[in-house]
Amino acid sequence: MRPLEGIRILDFTHVLAGPFCTRLLADMGADVVKVNSAKRAANAPNSPYYAIWNRNKRALALDMSREDAKEVAVSLAHQADVVIDNFSLGVLDRWGIGFDEISATNDQVIYVQMSGMGSGGPWSDFVTYAPTIHALAGMTYTTGVPDGGPIGLGFSYNDHQAGLHGAVAILTAIEARRETGKGQQIDLSQFEVGAAMIGVSLLDYFVNGREAHPCGNRLPYDMFAPHGCYQCRSKGADILDERWLAIVCRDENEWQSLCSVMAEPEWCRSEIFRTEKSRCENADLLDEHINAWTNDQDANELMHLLQDAGVPAGIVQTGIDLVESDPQLQAHGFIASMEEPHPILGETFADRLPIYFEKTPCDIYKRSRILGEDNVAVLADWLGMSEDAVREGEQAGILT
Amino acid sequence: MPTRGEALQQTRVVDLSDDKSIYGVKLLADMGADVIRPEPEAGDLLRHRGPFDEESGESLWYSFFASSRRHFTVDEASSASLYELNALLGCADLCFLGNENTLAERVNVEAAQTRNPKLVVIDVTPFGSSGPWRDFKAPDLVASALGGSSGITGDDYTPPLKLFGELNFTISGAYAATAALAGLYHAHQTGEGQRIEVPVHECIASSLEHVFMWYYYHEHFPNARAQALERRGSLHWTNLYVVMPTKNGAMMVTPTPNIEAQLAWLIEEDAFQDLLDSKFEEPENRRHYFERMMDVIREWVATEDTEELFYKAQERHAPYGWVQTVSQVASNPQLEARSWWQTAKVADRKVPGPGIPFHFKDTPGRIADSEWLEMDANSVLDAVGWEK
Repeated sequence: MRPLEGIRILDFTHVLAGPFCTRLLADMGADVVKVNSAKRAANAPNSPYYAIWNRNKRALALDMSREDAKEVAVSLAHQADVVIDNFSLGVLDRWGIGFDEISATNDQVIYVQMSGMGSGGPWSDFVTYAPTIHALAGMTYTTGVPDGGPIGLGFSYNDHQAGLHGAVAILTAIEARRETGKGQQIDLSQFEVGAAMIGVSLLDYFVNGREAHPCGNRLPYDMFAPHGCYQCRSKGADILDERWLAIVCRDENEWQSLCSVMAEPEWCRSEIFRTEKSRCENADLLDEHINAWTNDQDANELMHLLQDAGVPAGIVQTGIDLVESDPQLQAHGFIASMEEPHPILGETFADRLPIYFEKTPCDIYKRSRILGEDNVAVLADWLGMSEDAVREGEQAGILT
Repeated sequence: MPTRGEALQQTRVVDLSDDKSIYGVKLLADMGADVIRPEPEAGDLLRHRGPFDEESGESLWYSFFASSRRHFTVDEASSASLYELNALLGCADLCFLGNENTLAERVNVEAAQTRNPKLVVIDVTPFGSSGPWRDFKAPDLVASALGGSSGITGDDYTPPLKLFGELNFTISGAYAATAALAGLYHAHQTGEGQRIEVPVHECIASSLEHVFMWYYYHEHFPNARAQALERRGSLHWTNLYVVMPTKNGAMMVTPTPNIEAQLAWLIEEDAFQDLLDSKFEEPENRRHYFERMMDVIREWVATEDTEELFYKAQERHAPYGWVQTVSQVASNPQLEARSWWQTAKVADRKVPGPGIPFHFKDTPGRIADSEWLEMDANSVLDAVGWEK
């Protein structure tokens, strides 16, 4: 038994933030019914991207341009614990399945709207994707090197955070419902999630009037040195062949251990590196020395040498490293092939939920489903419809 | 502290987290959970994390991450004090453990779960309790490197970069909160608590968007030259989102989701150059068309005022993003209009502070002042007000 078995979620989300949220809940056993339509190409249900974020869900096809399809959606919403979408504001209302309509008879239902900017406010209609949010929320500006211009994040970080926050919000509302007996509406602004991610810097600005600036691999507020990524022996000339090692010394013990692993070179006993404070003041020079030491060494061997000596160190891993040579992920079976081949994509893969429940393990990973693949099962389970009735709906173009 | 009409007001939490999961506890605390964060006599190590209030010296890092808690001191040399600490677990719903919180080693989880079978314990560590790296040390930068986020952050002229501030450990924190609430739901349904492990390494690896897709399905993408993408600044894996310099700042620019509308805009601005050339209608040139379009947009954007361009784009439903500094975020009209800011107490001052990232219609959360528990009561449990 997985921990969320018995929770029913009607899922109208698309792209990443919403689907990631419902994937988390599906991985933990919730019955997530993903509503899609042949007329909504945005979700492209046979693409690799879709397949990754929609595992463990059931697929229902509904042509929401039809009134009879909307009636099916209303019936489903009446059976749901959670209805979630990340459309522009008001779409579910226009379909007749908004919170006010449904909660009048299903007062337990929880509605989550995961829009870019939230409901209300001068920017509420603005269109955003994760890179937009990164820029607006200060993450793009702050992730970079001093005087180097904004670099920002190399992936859609905030979509994952918004998805995680969506999951937290839903489970929080379910806990509140246990006390109050009622569901409620949740308005989750992906922009506000992003702004919370730089909360410490915002507080520093309000309290001290200080502006945060990019600081490379150093910490914005604390003084540790060394604290950086150092280049090791490359495997070839391509940027993907570069090997880097992150090394951090947070206290005198870790620094002394690093010196010991480096075989106590003369420079590390220099007065300018004698204290934590002086090492921070001379961090650029310190980095030069460490780079010279790591430069022709094997990153993996060096990582083990340093970790064995008690110095935090880790190789910078690419996606290839994570899949092919990360012994920790392999030991945990972090990446596994789905049990059943995907009808279009063939063999597909899952990176497992990084939550290990002692008594309710989440070890079921089912491939994403193609459009309408679970029409019969979902409508039988949720609405008690017969297979014949479902097939009729498919023939009539309602369930497509 | 509880009974504020908030979503988690009935949830009792013992917070022995460290920096890897303290954000997750904050999410629960700000939604009304009654969170007790015990501290060793020497003080919580996380109170030494900067930045600090220049007037009082108080840690702003701690003010943000340890919001809405109650605190008391544990004398680790006193068996009576440790007994009291362990007694708390007998009445708690959730207990967060962090491997760098010294008090986490002083609680007997197994004994607590025997006394309190519904207790859910969330143990957040760098790598989990098994595997060859289980004893590795992994502060943020190392976790970021091993977990894969540094490998795709930075540019070809920089080293791989860690994400700014606490962006890695807020991921593991949010996972920890998710785990806790799922465990709590199960405990309410069945009466069965449990221990839950959350390895930070896997949290980071599971939140890298395209990375595993690129490895397994790179043949689906015409611009893939290997099973991994190199670090390449802000350029998204689709090649269609990137930060460009403007006349007076920077803008995250994308022609998606409506490429034709972007072209129409460039035509209106008389900035379309050769994008209407018939050569781009040939299927084999389609990819070059997108590359060319990004180049054309870059030249045009470089002549535009950032703020004007941003609002013009959004009027056209183009998801451009104005690259904002922290002070600009602090004065953002959308956050202001949605009353996102809340009051934070720093030393004796009340200042604006970041709010809660979700709005509950009926049971809203709030950032509450932290409290220091008066310990003249007979026991910690009496002081806390939790029933035995």
